[in-house]
Amino acid sequence: MKLASLSAEQAPPISVPLRFFIAAPIFLALAALLLAMADGNPFAEPHAPAQIAATHHVTLGFMAMVMLGAIQQLLPVVIGSPMPASRLVAWLTFLPLIAGTLSLSAGFMLGKSELLNLSWPLLGLAFLVFIAASLTSLARATAKNATKTALLLSILSLAGAVTLGVLLARGYAAGLPLPYARLAAAHISLALGGWVLLLVIGVSYQVVPMFQLTPNYPKWLTAGLAPAIFAALLLNLALLVPESVPQWARFIAESIFWSLAGCFAVATIRLQNQRRRRVPDAALSFFRLGMLSLLFAALFSLAALLLPAAGDQLRTLSALAFLLGFALSLIQGMLYKIVPFLVWFHLFRGGISAGIPNMKNIIPEAWMWRHLWLHGGTLLAALLAPWWNVAAWLVMLGLLLQGALLGYGVFTGIAVYRRTLRKIEQTSP
Amino acid sequence: MHTIAEHMTADHKACDNEFAVAEQAALEGNWSEAETAFKTFNDDMARHFRMEEEVLFPALVSAGGPSGPVHIMRMEHTQIRGLLEQMAAAVAQKDEQEYGGLSETLLMVMQQHNNKEENILYPIADQILAKERETLFDRMQAA
Repeated sequence: MKLASLSAEQAPPISVPLRFFIAAPIFLALAALLLAMADGNPFAEPHAPAQIAATHHVTLGFMAMVMLGAIQQLLPVVIGSPMPASRLVAWLTFLPLIAGTLSLSAGFMLGKSELLNLSWPLLGLAFLVFIAASLTSLARATAKNATKTALLLSILSLAGAVTLGVLLARGYAAGLPLPYARLAAAHISLALGGWVLLLVIGVSYQVVPMFQLTPNYPKWLTAGLAPAIFAALLLNLALLVPESVPQWARFIAESIFWSLAGCFAVATIRLQNQRRRRVPDAALSFFRLGMLSLLFAALFSLAALLLPAAGDQLRTLSALAFLLGFALSLIQGMLYKIVPFLVWFHLFRGGISAGIPNMKNIIPEAWMWRHLWLHGGTLLAALLAPWWNVAAWLVMLGLLLQGALLGYGVFTGIAVYRRTLRKIEQTSP
Repeated sequence: MHTIAEHMTADHKACDNEFAVAEQAALEGNWSEAETAFKTFNDDMARHFRMEEEVLFPALVSAGGPSGPVHIMRMEHTQIRGLLEQMAAAVAQKDEQEYGGLSETLLMVMQQHNNKEENILYPIADQILAKERETLFDRMQAA
């Protein structure tokens, strides 16, 4: 960590992250609407255009939207190095990400190559700017810790995932004869197994002991886990290159990756069981549900290797547990901490504490608990959705309501911020 | 032989424990226990701040250490003191809701503050003040 990170000005203006956080829930609700527009049960056909469009609304419009906004806040805390030019980076990622995601999903839904050709330069720009800014921040961080390594590997994975995504969208729009199935497999592995998983791991090393008052992750684990997962990921990617590889090689590569991911989930759940702060906490419950889902995602994928007859179904379950269970739980739980904290922090900057609402008076806790139950219900429905059309409709309804609830929560935070700020300005001479 | 970083980090962890005990008691509405636990926590936080503000920080700055970051740490102490005062009022009024919201806020502020000290300031102190570490510990003990 550097001395500069002790500066009071390290945090970007509150408008920088909040614009990402208020846009993201809209995409979650839109994803639900896209699923509802699909012919038949979209969960039974993962490669249907509506499913691809909806999935990208979740991964780009929701997940990436929140993460691109949150990482600006997280970097000073976890590696002590802020992002350069925060306002400029925010605009150059926020707008192209919105426009790119909308044109990508519209391109898939309507089958229009012009829209796909509009989407990939926009998304490419958003991620290029983000990757460049975060690599600069990492390069400036003097500390050498396990978080920094995990974040670096995560961002490298993102660069790979984006490159392949651009290639896929371009090729698909132009009708090029590409090995789409294998490229898509590599794209998904790098995006979810690399960028998302390694990012969560790197941030968890710091955030879990720090805010949940647990013991630290064991040194051997933090030193080895992220590089091992990244190596396993590369091994899996390498096996996609040749036309045919022996079954055992794929078996070994996949089982190493999922065992490591499962290890992380178990280690985190064990630490959380030893937490010293035992008061009920909705955000922590989101986090624990997320870790449990990661463990299940790993178990489903390992089971798919052992039971090839049910392989496809088990892999679908694993993907749903990973995306809706692991990623969505963690991101929503994090937002319920980060939004109230940012509101409090930016109001308090004036130095007056009287009249500033505490964190629990910013987004009502009762709403967070309701959201947790709704989210748990949506997740259970999602695990049944590929085989039961009623459950597919419940997932759509659940995602729609979750988008609305989360949007309401973030909006409430912004409203409290504005109201309090006005009051402070009126009372101070 | 402990380093300054080890010594002070252990003190942070001890305060974290007391924080958790007081919060649990307050949220359960067990106010007799909450009062005692909060007092212990509050007193130990005050002692920790005295060790830093009266002994460690002045020693660091006069040995040529960075004064800007030390200033930021003092400002954050003021922020934390403000929250502790509000929490003391919530204990006096036996207001669970208020205490819970304040302790949630304090946790976020305190942990980020501790993280900066543990990763940046204490390691600098260990470098600059290596020779006088023993006397510093004695003086901090008395603070």
